Amino acid sequence: MELIGLANYALFMGIFIGIYALLALGLNIQWGFAGLFNAGIAGFFAVGAYTSAILTSPSADGRLGGFELPFFVGWFGAMVAAALIAWPIGKICLRFRSDYLAIATIGVAEIIRLVIKSEEVLTNGARGITNIPRPFGDLPYVQSQLAYLAIVAAVLVVAYLMVQRQFNAPWGRMMRAIRDNELAARAMGKNVEYRRLEAFIFGAALMGLGGALFAHFNRSITPEAIDPMVATFLVWIMLILGGSGNNKGAILGATVVWIIWSVSEIATDQLPHEYAVKAKYIRLFLIGLMLQLVLRFRPEGILPEPLRGDTRTDDNAVK
Amino acid sequence: MKSKFIAIAGGLLAATALAGATAKADVKIGLIGGVSGPIAAMAPSMISAAQLAFQQVNEQGGILDGEKLVGVVGDSACNPQGGTDAATKAVNIEGVSAIVGPHCSGAVLAAAGSVTIPAGITVVTPSGTSPEITGLDDKDTVFRTVPSDDYQGRALARTLKEKGYNKVAVAYINNDYGTGLADAFKAEFEAQSGEIAGFAAHEDGKASYRSNLAELASGGADTLVIFDYGDGTGLTILRQALENGFFEKFVGGDGMKSDAPINELGAENLATFVASSPVGEKSDSLDVFNEAYKAAGGDPDAIFVTTSYDAAFMLALAVEKAGGDKAGVSAALREISNGEGEAILPGEWEKAKKLIAAGTAIDYKGAAGDHNFDAAGDVPGTYALFEVGADGFEVMVEMK
Repeated sequence: MELIGLANYALFMGIFIGIYALLALGLNIQWGFAGLFNAGIAGFFAVGAYTSAILTSPSADGRLGGFELPFFVGWFGAMVAAALIAWPIGKICLRFRSDYLAIATIGVAEIIRLVIKSEEVLTNGARGITNIPRPFGDLPYVQSQLAYLAIVAAVLVVAYLMVQRQFNAPWGRMMRAIRDNELAARAMGKNVEYRRLEAFIFGAALMGLGGALFAHFNRSITPEAIDPMVATFLVWIMLILGGSGNNKGAILGATVVWIIWSVSEIATDQLPHEYAVKAKYIRLFLIGLMLQLVLRFRPEGILPEPLRGDTRTDDNAVK
Repeated sequence: MKSKFIAIAGGLLAATALAGATAKADVKIGLIGGVSGPIAAMAPSMISAAQLAFQQVNEQGGILDGEKLVGVVGDSACNPQGGTDAATKAVNIEGVSAIVGPHCSGAVLAAAGSVTIPAGITVVTPSGTSPEITGLDDKDTVFRTVPSDDYQGRALARTLKEKGYNKVAVAYINNDYGTGLADAFKAEFEAQSGEIAGFAAHEDGKASYRSNLAELASGGADTLVIFDYGDGTGLTILRQALENGFFEKFVGGDGMKSDAPINELGAENLATFVASSPVGEKSDSLDVFNEAYKAAGGDPDAIFVTTSYDAAFMLALAVEKAGGDKAGVSAALREISNGEGEAILPGEWEKAKKLIAAGTAIDYKGAAGDHNFDAAGDVPGTYALFEVGADGFEVMVEMK
């Protein structure tokens, strides 16, 4: 093993952490701010991934595409498409409360998955879309990963700063008020339904962006990627473990969970070969155990939501 | 925040660096499969078949200068996320010379696109059958020992047309396997001026497919072509089509050639049922493999074990031929199995090693076929059409 190999692996982990952190940030807007139990992250992830894939990939027989637009247009399109899909879904589903909403969104994600698998003209069906361009993809292995990590990190920082600003702004306080006491917020004259829809759409747009980053990194997207295990529940674990309601917590949760998820396989590889296949399941066990421990001993997550709901020290800023 | 992240990442990386420092002299080949996930039932036997090849290499003098060949197992979970993660670790942390796998097409596409093609590592998938893999811009590093679904679909269409089937309906399972086969079949059947009177995908695991079948039958075809799995949804469809008399004749892809329909429906009811399936090459290769794999405690009839074994053994030969140079593996892989040179059967490592050392050309004859790769790194398959006889499936005609 060489140093360059380690660097490559670290870069790869960084890219994946960045992508998952975007998904966790999106979920934090929906669950952490507004208390919307969205169990259909995979659906918006898929919408974003496929939208960007269709907009940027070269043309292929039998499906829509061939626009070959630059990648940032694709990413912007991914956010818009995910938001547009989220609008009618939110309009209908957000009338449900907590667990009913969870069931409805699982159903929606499944519908999206089946549409993607079946509509060959749109998405090439079960075969998926390949030859998606990756920015700086022509560089050698290390440099290409490094460049992509820089892009992902930049996108994540921008998203974080914007979401963090919203958290501190009156909008964020209002969302938390609606989450904690809907009747009181309504009595104050807040339009609860409209605000919930806003949070749902903003969150979905970030999830769509995460999907687009994922598709361009792999240069391909197939329906196999819309697996609820890795695209929905892993994100939930990240947010709960990191601390829902806290944007730094969302990013930290993504970091910790992905590192455990990925590195634990290297640890199990040190076991004797006859256990090599069986030991792979230890990863699933570790994630479950970790979630149990956090829920038992630190239910608010590693970085809990700031108590006063305001992380600024300066009192004179926007009131 | 940032320092925390760096501290965590650094600590973990240091730990792995220490853990990975052992066993430096070994030559490693990655075995990336869907250990967890939807094909978890198939993956262990595929991996053990590949391990058998490495075991034979080590028993017969090892690789290069007597070094040990080690298979590094990675879990792709049958999805792109897991596939890229496992491939990155195999390439960068374990430093593998080549990779057998990943098992699922989506994982192959993602791992190739983001890891192995940029890193210049050769991958041979034993079970990724999606036609999309053919078109990858792969700098000649992505191969497979299993024929593309495209190939089987076209061969089946030609054979059926020759056998006098002119008007058929097609029912296929909605995944990359079913879609790939059905599309290729349709294109070729229509090119041969046959008529497709119904063409519909179905989701698996439903209790009733009578409405799907009724719609397919309304096109007026008397033959139903089923691209599905004979021990799953395909059985349900076949049973309900027989019970309700929707169709008279039935044709299946390789997934339908399973003992389940015969056991469940009875051979007497399947007189009009034929299925296509890959057959082992006429040479002794398959027998040699079957015996060795049985002796090692495996079931040689399990799906994709022959292709897994071949992929592993060929990569071992290629690494030997390339002298351990990772960048040279893909070129060497073409040289050791291009139809010219002295024939090497499964398990004949010692003989192959001597011939390579002497500079003689060799040609590997695998358990699943000759594996003479075409320009895209695909192999043509050897297929036959089977009918149901008194003792189960019997070969009816070779498919061209």
